[in-house]
Amino acid sequence: MKEAIACGVAPAVKSKTREIDSARVRAGDRFDMTIALRHISKRFGTQVALDDVSLELERGERVALVGENGAGKSSLMNVLYGLYAADAGDVAIDGAPIRIRTPADALTRGIGMVHQHFTLVGTLSVAENVVLGKEPTRFGTFDLPRAVSEVQATCRRFGFDLDPRARVDTLTVGSQQKVEIVKALHRGVSTLILDEPTAVLTPQEADELFAVTRKLSDEGLTVVLISHKLREVLTFATRIAVMRRGKKVAEVKPSESTPESLAELMVGTRTPPPAPPQAMPGELVVTLEQLSAGPLRDVSLDVRAGEILGIAGVDGNGQRELAEVLTGLRSVDAGVLRVAGRTGSLTPRIAREIGVAHIPEDRLKHAVVTDFTVGENVSLGRHRHAPFANGARIDFAGRLDRTRTLMESHDVRPREPQLRLGALSGGNQQKLVVGRELDANPKLLVAVQPTRGLDLAAVDAVRSRLLDFRAKGGAVVLVSLDLEEVLALADRVVVLYEGKVSGAFMRAQFDERLIGKCMLGVRDA
Amino acid sequence: MLESLRAALPSIGSILTSLLGCFVAVAVLRGGVDVAIDAFLAMCWGAFGDFPKFFDGGASAVLLRPLGESATKAALLTLTGLSVAVAFRVGLFNIGAQGQLIVGALAAAVVGAAVELPSPLHVTLCLLASATAGALYALGPALLKRYRGVHEVISTIMLNWVALMLVENWLVTGPLRAVTTGDNSIAGTAQIHESAELPRLAGEVSRLNAGILLAIAAAIVLWLWLSRFVGGFEWRAIGATPAAAQASGMNVGRSFISAMLVSGALAGLGGAVLILGTEQRYPATIGAPYGFDGIAMALIGNGHPLGVLASSLLFGGLRAGGTRMQLFGVHKSFPELIQGLALLLVAARLVWMKLSNRLLPPKGGA
Repeated sequence: MKEAIACGVAPAVKSKTREIDSARVRAGDRFDMTIALRHISKRFGTQVALDDVSLELERGERVALVGENGAGKSSLMNVLYGLYAADAGDVAIDGAPIRIRTPADALTRGIGMVHQHFTLVGTLSVAENVVLGKEPTRFGTFDLPRAVSEVQATCRRFGFDLDPRARVDTLTVGSQQKVEIVKALHRGVSTLILDEPTAVLTPQEADELFAVTRKLSDEGLTVVLISHKLREVLTFATRIAVMRRGKKVAEVKPSESTPESLAELMVGTRTPPPAPPQAMPGELVVTLEQLSAGPLRDVSLDVRAGEILGIAGVDGNGQRELAEVLTGLRSVDAGVLRVAGRTGSLTPRIAREIGVAHIPEDRLKHAVVTDFTVGENVSLGRHRHAPFANGARIDFAGRLDRTRTLMESHDVRPREPQLRLGALSGGNQQKLVVGRELDANPKLLVAVQPTRGLDLAAVDAVRSRLLDFRAKGGAVVLVSLDLEEVLALADRVVVLYEGKVSGAFMRAQFDERLIGKCMLGVRDA
Repeated sequence: MLESLRAALPSIGSILTSLLGCFVAVAVLRGGVDVAIDAFLAMCWGAFGDFPKFFDGGASAVLLRPLGESATKAALLTLTGLSVAVAFRVGLFNIGAQGQLIVGALAAAVVGAAVELPSPLHVTLCLLASATAGALYALGPALLKRYRGVHEVISTIMLNWVALMLVENWLVTGPLRAVTTGDNSIAGTAQIHESAELPRLAGEVSRLNAGILLAIAAAIVLWLWLSRFVGGFEWRAIGATPAAAQASGMNVGRSFISAMLVSGALAGLGGAVLILGTEQRYPATIGAPYGFDGIAMALIGNGHPLGVLASSLLFGGLRAGGTRMQLFGVHKSFPELIQGLALLLVAARLVWMKLSNRLLPPKGGA
């Protein structure tokens, strides 16, 4: 029994109170437990997500993991939680290596994780959600009264103010997050990973969350906080690990750090990329005045013909919505939107007609039909017009002709217009999408993460197409989470933070540290 | 063409497999391979014409009568199959072909009995009435889907029952019941005028009628629409990847509605063929689940209009011929067993493809 408790197994004991008591024992100093991630490496294809990362978590610590998008914070914690299998390295508890292959393994070791996107069933009650996966039963059927009383006990024990009978979809987001945390605590976890917990919370809810978690950690719970928000990291954590491009670059104490010093550690000192040739901006193609749409608030910016406007920001700060507004997938709530001389909200059809091309972030969902042939995909968007249609009928010869030309000029391989698109590699699919969008002679190209997941040759191909288009007088809005890409291509950069413009820079003023701080909301430029 | 042949291969495999399986079953249960061969040959002759008897000097009727039965069944299967298939292609699951067929059949029976016109005109009018009735009956679910997000499976299933109860439990036995005179007391609506009957193609010896021509024409038109026309291209794109279709400027909601209208019209035409071709009145009850057979045809035909036509011709034939297997101790619902088995195999393949996609993700980056 003791053995089981020591390594965090939540035993199937008859009395729930005993289990809760055991959580307290576990949290006490008798089981001083250290979890060590040792030399973890993880690759996705050719991309290195984690490169020899080691991290130790002491009982009762509050460790913050900070870093840019793709720095490897979540990947590291997903390894710990059993969602990813590490390519190299291992996890050890008190020096003894353990195997965590699934989240269930992690939970039996007392490691729980609360994801940014909740995993709750909205139509069920709080109690039902909490016990889900480990439901108390009575004569083989679900014992709701016992679930309610058990969950009530857990809430009282850990100081959560939740009604176990309330339906989850009637709760606020902050309360839903509490349900997630109670769910983990109810399973008897001794280590709790919070992945960007405040992204969806109001400031008040965030304060409450930190107050509760701090109290729990004082009682012995180990907390790992993944966050972009440096201020909350500095006030909450007892130790901060900084990650950059898959490596842990520093471990610092909050008392010795400032938001500025952390931002510098996160972004690093990169040599600025070679500047593309001077832009020759022409007439205004896009004007946004005090535009609000969804999470976007009072965004004002403009884009001229012959320039690339880079949109920088941490994921989820309104970039996606900005692209949707420009391509007609989202309507404007307030303010002025003027694209190619037309004022007002767009629809995808109108956007195409006035010369807006779109390289969407999720190619397979928004740009192509994988079950269609390459030729059919080339015609998408212009399928009603020549050379793809002849009146109401499909112009097969025209389509084949245009597809051949396009595959040739954009080096899409294999050159097989009748091939199913899904048979092409990701890089070739993307080259085809870029080629198709530019082939329509657009005035504006909205490119969202256009090189994500591509191999180096394809990345270069796509980037040079964007620069060619600019040189011919096209306007480009480039949304990318990869700051390096934005700085390499853009003539100007606008930084979005929480749906607002937090900074704007001309190429001559590009300063990664400054931009990085705007991305993190540390400084307003 | 080669492409569509390749797409049809899995279904052909499923059908052959189920035929073989049933053959073995008959052989095992009914005492030997030779009995099974005899039973299956009898089914073939019953389906596509009794050639042995014909070459023995039989009249042409021994060919035409079985063919007529097969074609009559195949016409219905094709029209309901196309109805389900066209909805499939735009990404909707129209389970309501049965209900749409019922209202279409009633419309044909009413228009066929109410007026008397020159034959071609009268038939056309009846067909139009049925198609309109079926389309309007499918419009409700389409609008609910478009504007309120109601899933079409739920709404069309419910409307099946509404149609059945409304037509067969009330109208046909109540207000629309034929006025009986003397010994003529058949249940159902009044008999349609002769001018509304579908033209017989082989005189009085066979029930072979123009319904099968209508079905074949519908399949060809639908095939051309889906493969050659921009509108059909849009439907297919929406069915395959709705988000991409919307992002490339297609009006997804409008296509849902127009495809559902066509789907309902086709099922309605099925009802017309049933009434104008064979029943000549709306009987007390239609009885058979034609609309649900349409789902089977659409799946076995892989959603392709010509595939639906081919599988309908085959299974229409097997059903007509199945009755002859009774002589060998095989139940007459045997063809339905074959159909069910083929459907199961087609579905199993789809499930397998989904599973293997998930279990073995495609190689290569991105």
